[in-house]
Formats: sequence, C-alpha cells, structure tokens
Amino acid sequence: MIHSDNLFLVRSDLGTTTEQKSGNEWFVTVSGGGDFQADFIQTKGPLSVTVILAGEDSKCQLNCVYLCNDNNKIDIDFKVLHKSKKTTSSQQIKGLSADKGEVSFNGTITIPYDSQECDGRQNHRGIILSDYAKISAVPQLEIWADDVKCAHGSAIGPLDSDQLFYLQTRGIPATEAKKLLLSSFFNGFMTPEFDTFIHEWMAKNV
Amino acid sequence: MPLLEIKNLHVQVGDKEILKGLDLTIEAGEVHAIMGRNGCGKSTLASVIAGHPAYRVTEGSVLFKDRDILSLTPDARANSGIFLAFQYPIELSGVGLAQFLKTALNAKQEFLGQPKIDAVQFMKRMNLRAKALGISADMLKRSVNVGFSGGEKKRLETFQMAMLEPDFCLLDEMDSGLDVDALKIVGQGLSVMREPHRSFMIITHHNDLLQYIHPDKVSIMLDGRIVKTGGADLIQTVEEQGYDSFR
Repeated sequence: MIHSDNLFLVRSDLGTTTEQKSGNEWFVTVSGGGDFQADFIQTKGPLSVTVILAGEDSKCQLNCVYLCNDNNKIDIDFKVLHKSKKTTSSQQIKGLSADKGEVSFNGTITIPYDSQECDGRQNHRGIILSDYAKISAVPQLEIWADDVKCAHGSAIGPLDSDQLFYLQTRGIPATEAKKLLLSSFFNGFMTPEFDTFIHEWMAKNV
Repeated sequence: MPLLEIKNLHVQVGDKEILKGLDLTIEAGEVHAIMGRNGCGKSTLASVIAGHPAYRVTEGSVLFKDRDILSLTPDARANSGIFLAFQYPIELSGVGLAQFLKTALNAKQEFLGQPKIDAVQFMKRMNLRAKALGISADMLKRSVNVGFSGGEKKRLETFQMAMLEPDFCLLDEMDSGLDVDALKIVGQGLSVMREPHRSFMIITHHNDLLQYIHPDKVSIMLDGRIVKTGGADLIQTVEEQGYDSFR
C-alpha cells in the first residue's frame, strides 16, 4: 500500500511486466498465457491503468471501488488493449459519490482487426448520495475484429427508493436503511481486508 | 377506541386523485377484508397507511391508536405497530434475511427504548417461526426475496410479520400468485397470528385467503371510496353479483 487515500492489491501477476510511473499510474503488459488481476480503491485523485494483452490466451481482471466525498475529485481511466487473439478482459467498477464529490470514469476496450476470439467486459455502477455529487462515465469500445464477445454496462443513480421504502416499512430508519443498502452494494466485491476498509470509510464519511 | 380510523381521505399521485374521500374504521382484534376490482385504489390505501412517499394526502386524516400518523416516517409507523405485507415484495440483493430481521427487531427495540434483542433468543424465535411456515435454514441465509418464487416471497412476508409481531397487519393481495398449497401455508400462518389486540386489513379480490382467516367485516371499495361495509355475507354478494351491484 503506497498511499493512505488509495489502495491497490495485485492478486495475480503471472507473466506480466508492470511499469508503475507512480502509485496512480500503471502500465501493464501481459505475455502469452499470463494473468493480471488487481483490485483498486480510490478515494482521491487520478488513477490510470493501461493493460496490454500482448500474448495469446492472456487475461486481465481489474476491480475498482471509488469512494468520493467532501469536495474531492476522482478521475479513473482504464484502458485495455487486446493486442493478441483469444485474450480476455474484465473491468468491474463500483462506487459512490457524496457531498460535492466529482467522479469521472473512462473505460476503453480496444480489440484490433487481427485479435479474433477475444472477450472484453466492462461494468460500472455508481451511486449518487447527494444533490451536488456528480458521477460521469464514458465507456468506449473500439472493436475492429468481428469474431469477439464484448459487453459493457453503466448505471448511475441514487439508492433505489423502493428498497428504501421496503426497509423502512420494517421499522428500519432511513439512515440505517441507506447504510444497509450501501454495504450490500459493496459486500463481497473485494477481499475481506478491502471490504473492511470500505466499511470503515463509509462509517466515517457517509 | 378503534385501532385505525380513516376519515375523508383524499390522495393524489401526481395530478391524479386516487382516493376520493375514503372513510374506514378498524377495531382492535378485527379482521377486515377490503374487496374491489383492480384499479379502485386498494393498494394505494395500503401504501398510504404505510407511508409511501409517492402518495400525497390532500385532505383527511389517518388515526392509528388515536394518533395522527400522516406526518410520521414509514419506519416510525412500522415501529408503532403497522406492518405492510407487499403485493410484490422487493428484492434486497446482498442483504441476508436473518441479518435484515435482526436489524428490524433492534430498530423497534430502540424506538421503544428497550435493550437490544439477545442473539440466542433471536435465533430461537426465528427458527420456531420459520419452521411453522416451512422456511428452511438455507432460505434464512439467502438475500431477502432474491431468487424466490412468488409463493415463497409471500411466505417470507408472512414470516417477517410473525417475527415483528405487529398490532396491525396490512396484507396487500397476499393471495395473488399462490397455488393451493402455498395458500394453505400462508392462510394457516395468518390464522395462528389472530389475537384479541391484533387487527388485519386484508386486501383481496377473491375469497381464497378469507377461507383461512375469516373476516369479521368486509368493505367494498369502488372508485376511491368505501361504498359498503358489512359482515362476511358481503363476499357472497360479490361472488354472485359482482362489484357493479354496489354502484
């Protein structure tokens, strides 16, 4: 852990070369059969991760949680280039923005013409907790090959009002109901240590 | 003193008036069926009593235990003794049923100024009630309402109600989507909950559930109002002559 505001955990670096310009800027190359898996938690500032799936059958999985509050700004930029055929990538991003927090997420999946039989996935879900908080997401798919699987989704919004009402009809006050829904949103997404960090951050800041 | 007393209730969603001067009184211990065709405002009535924020009360009053509840939050109403069993129970992905019920019970204890519920006592109570409604240990571990069939969800609503022990049970179309076996389990689960201090308002458009929990009174709802209140014999009138006969 290199920065108290932001955390990362590399779960697999099989066959990878990682160039880290700083804690917030990553450039990863994955060779044939390699597997890069990493978790990130971002509470402030920029995070840029570029992964090149250079060899056949290489894989990457990027999981990211952002937690933005106060007047903080978070800028996340994920790029995955499927340079070889039969490569697989997954980007899972979840987060919240409270107070006057501003989050921007850019996620790019590029699959060039020769990279057949690739699978690239990206999913983003952001929860807005105040009228002044902002989240913007720009998913970009640049797909040139024709025999590929690709999926992306992004959903940004407040907590579900039907769920809140349901919890309240069971006697759970609104603030506690919101906490319960937020914990369930993040629960089990990352390692237990990172889950604890997320819960502690929410208890202190939301 | 009635448990629930509604006078001249007018309710809007957006610009549309749905309840148009509704009067209804339910005594303590009473089982009161509300019957009416789709779209007459039955579910709106249940949601308004529970405090759904989408409905705007423009006129009238709702007294529960002699206290005006319209300014109370839904959780304060629940902790005062109102339970709404949903027609379409909401899925809470990632929220385990046992954890959910414990949070709810402790919220009520806190509201009443009582100490938190003991974990062992809670487990005993939960296992006892779950068994009576055919709810397995596996179902208790799963997320609330996620991946359950319609019938299972209704059983889980009944189970939650049995755990929270409300004074007033509002059942919104509890019998919809139930096959005969599930209906029997839910019906029996409800009938054992009958107590002299506990009232039921059962919204339905058939007689199915009422065979298990016999109503003391039946009210017919038509176009946002209660147009007739009588005994259980009204059910037969509905079945023979339909709702139009009350116009």
